[in-house]
Amino acid sequence: MVTPYKDPFAQLQRELERMLESTFGSVSASTVGVYPTVNVFDAGEDYVIKAELPGVDPSKVEIEAQDNTLVLRGERKFDDPTTENVAYHRRERDQGQFRRVVRLPGKVDGDKAAATYHNGVLTIRVPKAKETQPRRVAIQAA
Amino acid sequence: MAEAQAQSDIEARPKQKAERTDESTRPGAYFQPAVDIFETPEEIVVRADMPGVSPDAVDVKLDGDQLTIEGRVDPQEYSGLKPLYVEYGVGGYLRRFTLGEAIDREQIKAQLQNGVLTLHLPKAERARSRRISVQAA
Repeated sequence: MVTPYKDPFAQLQRELERMLESTFGSVSASTVGVYPTVNVFDAGEDYVIKAELPGVDPSKVEIEAQDNTLVLRGERKFDDPTTENVAYHRRERDQGQFRRVVRLPGKVDGDKAAATYHNGVLTIRVPKAKETQPRRVAIQAA
Repeated sequence: MAEAQAQSDIEARPKQKAERTDESTRPGAYFQPAVDIFETPEEIVVRADMPGVSPDAVDVKLDGDQLTIEGRVDPQEYSGLKPLYVEYGVGGYLRRFTLGEAIDREQIKAQLQNGVLTLHLPKAERARSRRISVQAA
């Protein structure tokens, strides 16, 4: 008897694919919007926002979180070859300044936001404001 | 929910799916990393954006003139997270190139930093272009 192996990450990937399609429909994604693209996750008491920012100096990224808005600002800049006689075959990676506003699903406690930059991915974890967090209501006996 | 409101010099390019041609037991989506490739008289340099890939999860293969770069992301980064709003897919990276030059395979250098793979592919001695000076008679 062979039990199919259910990989939780593969399931998450499919979920992301499905949501990506529902966000942008079948319109080919020239409409994706402003750099950097972000994914927003629910992590219980926190929201987690991830942005792919490969090759960015994290000290040049500013993050502001307030109410239900997150602002990412920074610059992506890399060293071009300084040697003469350089011929480019492909040039697909952009550089420049960026500023991105992300509207979050609910209000957050921006003072407690924490950010990490790991392998080119910026991850911001910010607690939901108390009013946004689900509250357990106890039913009192009559 | 999330708005595309703001100004950026950089265009948000959607990640392009990469097709795996080999039979793979690794599940999940693969994307084509954006690359810069430039050539100097001495070497070919490839820079590829592979966000989410750690240095121990990248493979570089040179088979004849076929260069393959592949990277995998760490699923642990996503444990306990439930997607609410999605603008990009998450998966590995895969891209193949045909090199027009003979490469000195022993001297290839690869480095992955902040999600950017940099490959230095030195040209084999015989492939380097030589400048021939014309002597005045």
